[in-house]
Amino acid sequence: MNAPEIDPAEWRTRSANQTRLAFGQALLEIGARESRAVVVSADTQDLLGIRPYIERFRDRFIELGIAEQNVIGVASGLATTGLRPYVCAYAPFITARSMEQVRNDVAYANQRVVIGAAASGISLGVAGGTHHALEDLALMRSLPNMTVIVPVDVNEAYKATLATLDIDGPVYLRLGGRTEEPAVGDPEAAFRLGKAVQLRPGTDVAVIACGALVDMAVRASDLLKKEGISVRVLNMHTIKPLDRDAILAAAAQTRGIVTAEEHHLTGGLGGAVAELLAVEHPARMRMVGMPDVFAMVGPTGPLRAKYGMSTEAIVDACRALLR
Amino acid sequence: MDEAKHNLIRKLQGEARNVRRNIWRATRAGGGGHVGGSASAADLLAALYFHRMRIRPTEPDWPERDRFVLSKGHANAALGAVLAQAGFIDDAVLDKFYAFESPFGMHPDIKVAGVEMCTGALGHGLPVAVGMALGARIQKMAFHTFVMIGDGELHEGSNWEAAMAAAHYKLSNLTAIIDFNKICQSGRVDEVISVDPLAEKWRAFGWEAREIDGHNMEDVVDTLDALPLNPDRPTALIAHTVKGKGVSFAENTYLWHSNSVNDEIYAKALIELGMP
Repeated sequence: MNAPEIDPAEWRTRSANQTRLAFGQALLEIGARESRAVVVSADTQDLLGIRPYIERFRDRFIELGIAEQNVIGVASGLATTGLRPYVCAYAPFITARSMEQVRNDVAYANQRVVIGAAASGISLGVAGGTHHALEDLALMRSLPNMTVIVPVDVNEAYKATLATLDIDGPVYLRLGGRTEEPAVGDPEAAFRLGKAVQLRPGTDVAVIACGALVDMAVRASDLLKKEGISVRVLNMHTIKPLDRDAILAAAAQTRGIVTAEEHHLTGGLGGAVAELLAVEHPARMRMVGMPDVFAMVGPTGPLRAKYGMSTEAIVDACRALLR
Repeated sequence: MDEAKHNLIRKLQGEARNVRRNIWRATRAGGGGHVGGSASAADLLAALYFHRMRIRPTEPDWPERDRFVLSKGHANAALGAVLAQAGFIDDAVLDKFYAFESPFGMHPDIKVAGVEMCTGALGHGLPVAVGMALGARIQKMAFHTFVMIGDGELHEGSNWEAAMAAAHYKLSNLTAIIDFNKICQSGRVDEVISVDPLAEKWRAFGWEAREIDGHNMEDVVDTLDALPLNPDRPTALIAHTVKGKGVSFAENTYLWHSNSVNDEIYAKALIELGMP
């Protein structure tokens, strides 16, 4: 079910289906296309696979060490001089620890800083609760000016990273850890910021998912189709700004909405969808995600299953709405 | 002192007096404010904005301008005063301190001409200034970045993260000025949490540190003119100052870290400043 632990040297070189490494690869292209791009590391050179970038663009790379508050402040200062900083960091630390710097120096000052946040969710399952990021979407999407993106796979991570070149404001890119995420959807499809991708049509239920739960939602849809239940699946890769039209259409055209995410049920994608629907188009809802507890230690796959982030959980939620 | 230097010092002292008057003027308009830490910074700010910094008030976004970050953002009354006196913002703005939808609130706002960063949450200015100095180096630009930090503000650990990074990258184009007025919100800094020995701390972090009298304009000017003090190190100027400087009843007391200012207090302050 889970990839066995692999040694750091192997990590470094393998081109795995890991969104964190796709970010690093995309930075190579960004470095070539945008002379103002500068990459900032918090002792995270391998975490985001940026050694090739560093080799090629050494004069536009800054290592700042294990100091997330300073990393965000420096990135903001760089941006004020006209540069385009890309921060490489751990999701749990760059959001929770340096939240005030992200809020004031980046969001309030509205600087063009892109935060590449690896190891989100419970992707570092064995590391324990200190290294899980299950509240990062809630924190980041609560900030005015902030764009929040959760790429579903390496194709989308690469394209979303390139798309940040055209975003006039701060961006939070939520990336995975060592977990290898399956390719989802059409690898040739363009990335359209703020526009959900419909992966399955459906009229009974709509599952609105992000990140690792999108693939599970597709599987759930395919399983339920065999029972004659029609489940729409939306990959909601942009959490902010939210694709209101796709959500309102799903609520109007189905009998209920299931949200699915690797994040606490408080304040994440489910919360964002519920906030919209409660006001604009009240709908029956079920939310799949991390309950209000800290996760135990374990490999990511079994942890996801234990806490109800699974294909089965999505199937059950869909059925519950049709009862 | 030759005549030109003498005239310069006189001019800067005059600007500093105006800064102090404008601090009291703004805080009266707002009904109060952080007079103490604003007045302690007045001479340093006057020397920066009217002598040392290369700036263009009519072109506030001039890319080559020297940068100033007021990390101790609660001294915004003093920053607003120099920005108005230098011509970045309209003088009338000083009468809108704390007003509804005013650009001039308790803390600096980057949307205001001449303001380089939203500050006031403490411990933020030095990291941002390190980013500006690195930005200058990467783009081969000659501007110098100044950041003013409060003494109590140095309790915030983020300062020391940034101090390590600045020394690591040998940012001689960066100068931190510590407004060492010895008093924070609850009392004397050395009774709250001591920051001593301050110059030694900065030196241990790899900075070139010098202690100056932050109210002696000649000392301030000579030091600013000598920057960088070391071609391979960022500079820390430990400026010994007096909280509330210039008005006896506001000097050296935590009660004037922030306080109410009414017409009567304002009139007394102006008399003490010799500017009734």
